[in-house]
Amino acid sequence: MKTIWNRLYAWIDERVQLNDLVTFMAKKYVPVHRGSIWYYFGGVSLFLFIIQVVTGILLLLYYKGSDSLAFESIQFIMSKVTFGWLIRSIHSWTANLFIFAVLIHMFSVFFERAYRRPREVTWLTGMLMLFIGLGFGFSGYLLPWNELAFFATKVGTDIAGVIPVVGKPIMIFLRGGPDVTGATLSRFFGFHIAVLPGIFTVLLAIHLLLVQRQGMSQPQEFESTPDDSKKTMPFFPNFLLRDLLFWLIVLNILAMLAVFFPWELGRKADPFAPAPAGIRPEWYFLFMFQSLKYIPARLWFIDGEILGVLLFGAAGLLWLLVPFWDRKSSRGGRNRLITYIGLFVVVYIITFTLLGWFL
Amino acid sequence: MRSVMCVVVVCVGVSAQTALAADKCLECHGTVGDKPSSLFTRDIHHLKGISCTGCHGGDASAEDMEKAMDRRAGFIGVPKGDDVSAVCARCHSNATTMAGFQSVLPTNQYVLLQSSVHGKLSISGKERIVQCTTCHNAHGIAKVTDPASPVYPVNAVATCARCHGDAKFMRLYNPSLPVDQLAKYRTSVHGVKNAAGDARTAQCASCHGSHDILSVKEVKSKVYPTNIPATCASCHSNAAYMAGYGIPTDQFEKYAKGVHGVALLEKHDLGAPACNNCHGNHGAMPPGVESISKVCGTCHVLNADLFSSSPHKKGFDELGKPECETCHGNHDIVAASNVLLGNFPGAVCSRCHSAQDREKGFVAAGVMRVLIDSLQRADDRARVLVDEAEQKGMEISEAKYKLRDVRQSRLETRTIVHAFSAEKLRETAGKGFATAAGISAEAEHAIDEYYFRRVGLGVATFSITVLAVSLYLYIRRLERKQRQAEAVHY
Amino acid sequence: MNEHKSIPADGGKRDFLKYILGGSLIAWAVSVLYPLMAYLRPPVQTEVEVSSVKAGKLSTFDKDSGTIVRFGNKPVVLVRASTGELRAFSATCTHLDCTVQYRKDMGVIWCACHNGKYDLNGHNIAGPPPRPLDEYRVVVQGDDILISKRT
Repeated sequence: MKTIWNRLYAWIDERVQLNDLVTFMAKKYVPVHRGSIWYYFGGVSLFLFIIQVVTGILLLLYYKGSDSLAFESIQFIMSKVTFGWLIRSIHSWTANLFIFAVLIHMFSVFFERAYRRPREVTWLTGMLMLFIGLGFGFSGYLLPWNELAFFATKVGTDIAGVIPVVGKPIMIFLRGGPDVTGATLSRFFGFHIAVLPGIFTVLLAIHLLLVQRQGMSQPQEFESTPDDSKKTMPFFPNFLLRDLLFWLIVLNILAMLAVFFPWELGRKADPFAPAPAGIRPEWYFLFMFQSLKYIPARLWFIDGEILGVLLFGAAGLLWLLVPFWDRKSSRGGRNRLITYIGLFVVVYIITFTLLGWFL
Repeated sequence: MRSVMCVVVVCVGVSAQTALAADKCLECHGTVGDKPSSLFTRDIHHLKGISCTGCHGGDASAEDMEKAMDRRAGFIGVPKGDDVSAVCARCHSNATTMAGFQSVLPTNQYVLLQSSVHGKLSISGKERIVQCTTCHNAHGIAKVTDPASPVYPVNAVATCARCHGDAKFMRLYNPSLPVDQLAKYRTSVHGVKNAAGDARTAQCASCHGSHDILSVKEVKSKVYPTNIPATCASCHSNAAYMAGYGIPTDQFEKYAKGVHGVALLEKHDLGAPACNNCHGNHGAMPPGVESISKVCGTCHVLNADLFSSSPHKKGFDELGKPECETCHGNHDIVAASNVLLGNFPGAVCSRCHSAQDREKGFVAAGVMRVLIDSLQRADDRARVLVDEAEQKGMEISEAKYKLRDVRQSRLETRTIVHAFSAEKLRETAGKGFATAAGISAEAEHAIDEYYFRRVGLGVATFSITVLAVSLYLYIRRLERKQRQAEAVHY
Repeated sequence: MNEHKSIPADGGKRDFLKYILGGSLIAWAVSVLYPLMAYLRPPVQTEVEVSSVKAGKLSTFDKDSGTIVRFGNKPVVLVRASTGELRAFSATCTHLDCTVQYRKDMGVIWCACHNGKYDLNGHNIAGPPPRPLDEYRVVVQGDDILISKRT
């Protein structure tokens, strides 16, 4: 057995100098400290993304993306295809868990200031992937072409249309027309399986490459301890095996969710029926949706909705550019302001999500 | 003495003259020999002391023609068109005037006539179709209770038929309205009695009204379908009125409790029959024993056809038993249900069929009941299983859709019962059984799949847990070895 | 000192743990791969049948004939008149919800339960049905007949 693996290794090494990569990997160490647990969430996000790709491709074998067949094809997957129910429910649940994991990952990076020099681009690509992930969620939500999704898409694209100047063209581009129709479904399908995956993959490659090249970011207290008293563990096999263990547990949780809390299908979308009561977007958009409700209809000369959209846009932009305006952390100082801002944002998001959910 | 007698005679003569002089019109016109005045001598108005001027106006005491028929004295000549009825109404719609004559007649006839179907404008557009005089005559008016009156019950029929039996006339107003009502009426029980002089039996006005006649299509008409049972019952449920005719008076009571009565009177389903749909309206007569299934069959086509070609037809006719009625009743028809069928005491079939010699009918009844009950149980079971699968969140819409077919089969078996053949029923029910079995199997499969998923999850979780635990132990051991290796190094 | 004692003990433990690890890894792999493989195998009904799209082919649909087609979870009766015209109506009888059918001999849409009849405009013309049948839209694309809801 050993000789076969050795021979295979030698054959590949001869062609791509695998040895260089292996020695590099063997030397990788992961810092061990109080905040080490957060290191796993990047990997979990990656794992969940891979699950989405695999289940997504499987669903693609049976899903039909036209407004007259989409709903029925998912009904077909749920009832007639062997284990179709499992694949579909896992895909729907993973979408939510992915966003959740990415948010934890992002906030842990934020609070640990891991975005500081030299990891600005890692942060940027990560934030962009978060936005694309939300785009995945929004586009994928429409694909079953059910009542809730139809109206959620209508409301969501309406809000996009509120942006001054570029809003209406963007809305028409997204919808494939002035209204949400079968054309919207076709577009969203295209975005969901081709455009967004393509862009995401490029960003992911850059992100992973940088992480591998630069190694794990060390918290400031850790950095200041002398080298020989730094606790570390080798990436391979220790961290990797622990990572895999975590992934295994997540997979099991997913299976349980799929069996005990199967994803609903609801009723087929009917553009001529009135919107059902209590229509609201998925939880990850809820805090913004709820906030918009609290802004008065008109504030001085600005329309309330436009103000809301612009405010969130501005906040998002500031958040995206944090490595560039938080100079103190880049210089090695402790920027308490970041912690306060972060805590405010987390509390705000949680509060408004809960408000939106229960009110 | 003679002078007193003279005075008396003169006085009497004068008063007689005066009395007659009060209607100089009649006196004069009577000598001319004109028809109205000869009729008027028998008129109820004349007998009550009303003169020609009562309607025509003018001065009844004037001997001079010009003075008598003076417009300034109120003479209106021969009233034409609506003026005729207006003249009658001047007194007959005035309660005070009528009370002055000790009359107990109603005073709303004119108002009713104006809103009735006869109150519409005639083809000339200048007057209503019917005036008071059309039915009551102008000069020889007699009381309704007087056999000489054209609206005396026995005569009313002919009066109405003067127009309503004239096809050319009716064509001017409503070409699609039949004109053979009188002919039909004469074949009916009412018509026969009426021709024999019975004034209590139903004639046109009894059902249609007299002054307040409305089209059959109007909801307030006495002969609008939902009102017909009450109209017929106004005589036929009155035991005192019907005494002497020798027929029961509980038909309306029974009908109102039966399926047809509930459908028509409570649910306002105009498809349900009123008295006239089974008995005829103008030609009203209960249908003969042999024709009952044909009458019921005008709506219940399939049942009637099946019955007519079944063994029961011959049997019932020979025994003189009325068809549909024997099992279902005539007025108090009970909603059909499974309990009617069977060969146990209490079932309709048992009234004739008994267990002796395992009689064929007895056996067939039993078999049919068993089949129908089994089909119902199969349907119920399929529904329960589909509900359970649905509750468990399994996708079962296709099986649910097929449940319609089972229900349809049940409806069809209820109809095929009337062929009274266990074989035919088995064939019809067979489709239902097969579909129900298929649905139940699909639903059970879905429920099994539900449990399979949970078991499958258990197995997968078990293998993952074992893997996770062993991986964890492996990691711990690995790190312990690494620490030991490091310790050795130092 | 520890090393000497622990090596034989470790050796035994190592094998046992490695067997468990390997075995459970295979078991887990099977429990993941089995559903995936089963999923890839086409189901008995290979495609989603939605008659809201296709109701049949024009070339195989005779004149003066009818057929029942499933539209979502409702039946629809599709009739081709003797003139060649296509009409589609809800096949749920408005009387007691039985499924109607086209009767070539009578030239009407007929309900087997209580002899209800509808003409080719969907109007109830005889028997107990109180209302006409709802009409559906029929469109021909090439050789395909498509039925959709009337809007």
